[in-house]
Amino acid sequence: MASTQLTDEELFSQLKCFGYTPGPVTENTRPVYLKKLKKFREEQQQQQRGKGRVSGTSSSSSTGAPRPVKHDVRRLSSGRRPGLKSSVLGFSSDESDAETPLKRKGLDHMKRPSRSPHLQQQQLKIRAATPLNEANKKQYGVGTALKSNSFPNPDGQTSASLGWETGKRYMHDPESRDEDVSDEEVQNSHPVNGRSAARLNTSKLAGEYSDSDEEEVGGPGGPERDRRSLELRRIYTSGPFASHVDGGGSRIGGKNCALNPLGNRAMAGGREEFEERGKKGDLDASGGLRSHMLPRKPIYLSLGEDHQSKTGENNHINREEGASGSNMASIALRPRYRGSYSPTLSPQGGYSNHSSVPNHAYGPGTQKKKPTAPEDELLLQFKREEQPSSGSFSAHYLSMFLLTAACLFFLLLGLMYIRMRGSGSPAGDGVIKSHPFGSNFDSSYSKTEKDVILKLLLSLHDHLAIVAGHHDCGEQQYASRSLSREQVTQYLLAQDGDFKDFIDVSLEWIIRAGQDVGIRLSGELADDLVMDVSEISWLESTHPRMPFTCRFRRALLTVMNKVLVVAVVVGLVCSVICYVKYRWRREEEETRQMYDMVERIIDVLRTHGEACQENRDLEPYLPIPHVRDSLVQPQDRRKMKKVWERAVKFLSANESRIRTETQQIKGADFMVWRWIQPPLSSDKSKMWQGKAFPLDRRNSPPNSLTPCLKIRNMFDPDMEVGDSWDLAIQEAILEKCSDNDGIVHISVDKNSKEVSCVVSLSRVGSVFLKWVGSVVLLH
Amino acid sequence: MSTTSQKHRNFVSEPMADKPVTALAGIGDRLGHSLTEQGYDKAYVVLGQFLLLRKDSELFCYWLKDVTAANSKQADDCAQCLKDWCDAFL
Repeated sequence: MASTQLTDEELFSQLKCFGYTPGPVTENTRPVYLKKLKKFREEQQQQQRGKGRVSGTSSSSSTGAPRPVKHDVRRLSSGRRPGLKSSVLGFSSDESDAETPLKRKGLDHMKRPSRSPHLQQQQLKIRAATPLNEANKKQYGVGTALKSNSFPNPDGQTSASLGWETGKRYMHDPESRDEDVSDEEVQNSHPVNGRSAARLNTSKLAGEYSDSDEEEVGGPGGPERDRRSLELRRIYTSGPFASHVDGGGSRIGGKNCALNPLGNRAMAGGREEFEERGKKGDLDASGGLRSHMLPRKPIYLSLGEDHQSKTGENNHINREEGASGSNMASIALRPRYRGSYSPTLSPQGGYSNHSSVPNHAYGPGTQKKKPTAPEDELLLQFKREEQPSSGSFSAHYLSMFLLTAACLFFLLLGLMYIRMRGSGSPAGDGVIKSHPFGSNFDSSYSKTEKDVILKLLLSLHDHLAIVAGHHDCGEQQYASRSLSREQVTQYLLAQDGDFKDFIDVSLEWIIRAGQDVGIRLSGELADDLVMDVSEISWLESTHPRMPFTCRFRRALLTVMNKVLVVAVVVGLVCSVICYVKYRWRREEEETRQMYDMVERIIDVLRTHGEACQENRDLEPYLPIPHVRDSLVQPQDRRKMKKVWERAVKFLSANESRIRTETQQIKGADFMVWRWIQPPLSSDKSKMWQGKAFPLDRRNSPPNSLTPCLKIRNMFDPDMEVGDSWDLAIQEAILEKCSDNDGIVHISVDKNSKEVSCVVSLSRVGSVFLKWVGSVVLLH
Repeated sequence: MSTTSQKHRNFVSEPMADKPVTALAGIGDRLGHSLTEQGYDKAYVVLGQFLLLRKDSELFCYWLKDVTAANSKQADDCAQCLKDWCDAFL
């Protein structure tokens, strides 16, 4: 199979096949055209579906029992030839012509077994899913051919029936009404095997998947179908198939279940993700006939799992099929999976040819792996299309972050729990063999006595620990953490009568022990150190052992507290940062406004100053409040007060052309600004005053036919002064169209009021638009 | 149809010159930012893309939705705006 990676030319030509003339295929437009191609193919399939439904029903009526395959193949050979190169959605467009008709035939074939018309739909949809189907189907055919030692191979067409039989197997649902038919089919498939129609075979398998899904009793089939149709549109699907699949998986009685998913998966999956999951599922299935599919899984995987449920019979043939299917799966999947598949295959059945088949299958399989790689590239192409935009990047990272946070939390919880437990359980408590009393202890007592003493101490320790633990947990029955001597004695005697003699001894040993043995002895008053056995009044455990719930609760609380503290701290820091940012932004904004205001003031003053130059009646200064009121709208005055103040301060400090002084205006004192920059030399240049009328569609030019534009009433020759006013006008025009170099020639007609201008034809419209509505200022 | 927005009318009324991409109808701050990041900082660059797709509104909508997180309405508005501009000035 040629590379499934669409080159630009191929994309281009394919789009043309649909009667559409695409523009250039660049890296920008490529995803768009791919989508368009997808849409065209969908439309095409819909048309075919409509046509196919009719032909499917007709074919099913005409098939007889013994060799339905032949019949179908015959029918298929006369089936519709694809007018277009491919009918697969988007992913591979470069299947050979030979394959596509076969594929289609196979799907037509699928219609045969009195399936409902929906099947057609499903099959087409499924077919449309991945191009890997093609490759895998081929492999499947090869695999089946290799099994020819089990099945005689009379004619090439029987491979179709082999596939057929496979499909039938899948449809073999004990509750299904088609059981009789499938039995019959199974019989027929014995002499079946073939190479030539291998593709047909494999293509059928895809269809069969849909068939078997169709056969699913009741609900799961229906919504699944719908789901599938939905999911086909998407590249990565996350269907809730896991539960369904698991339910299906548990119904399986045979070993072939494990293999079938492989086969199915091979058919369906060309995606890495898919393959990984498939592998996982397969291993599980081989272990316990259950597939632990992850919830996110393309639909084909789910199809495979469904088929798992369908196979109720442990059929020799079935297993063989499954083996070949799994071979194909192993072929189709990446090399890294190869090793894993062969061991899974071997435990599956005691069939001798199992191991041989994989090896055979691998040979032809290698060349089929190549399509998967470019397929993935194509997938990646589409993936790039669907890459989340920058806006949702943060959402993606947020979800990851939350996940890691949850994991960390649970990890912390576990650690805390362990720590609690560690503190709760005494060190080396369970084994009486070791004791902290030293070698003296060993030497001074006989073994039995030692055992008794140690046992006594152990039970005492435990009891005290429990008491302390319960007390710590707040249980009412243990009011105090420590036990009095009498209570201890009572308890120990209740444990074992032998203890009686050794209580004092052991207590003495505790005192004598230099290290902490887990029991603390205290005198009458709490925390008194005791030196002698007689002084002992209270015994307390230093290693309290708390009940599990208490421990867990404490651990949880501790962790939550810590997390809370951390979160609060982080929140504080974040809020501080946000506040600082906000303030900074506000500052920036206000500064910008202030500068803007300053500029406006300067403009006003400058114009006023220039006006004063000409008109000697005007005062050369402007009162500040007047300026403010002219620049700032009344409704904004309050808001802009601060900005204005800052602007005034800035001006007085930094602006040298403006002088602030106090003047009397109409009897009142005002702070005024005086513009003290001497006027610049007037250049008497032509200036554009602005727009005479708004420019919209009415004034837009129609497509002009001539390259010439004439401007009328641009100037008045009588009024013009100076020698080179015509040049000034020309310059003004050029300036206006500075970025438009379409002007070829300008001529100013001094006698009339016109300017003629020759512009290149393409630019006429834009040049015109630049000028229209503008007015020239005459100096 | 007169259901064009003010932005649309403003854009189509005159040559786009160096207008930023946010001057296009349907392109607000968020989309404009997203387009600018990808290199489409001026309206004429987006126009270029529109012309590359042979002034096909549907394809342009696909492209815009791919490249930014535009919804259908925004993409349609933008395509219509560019189409009208082309009708007027190209």
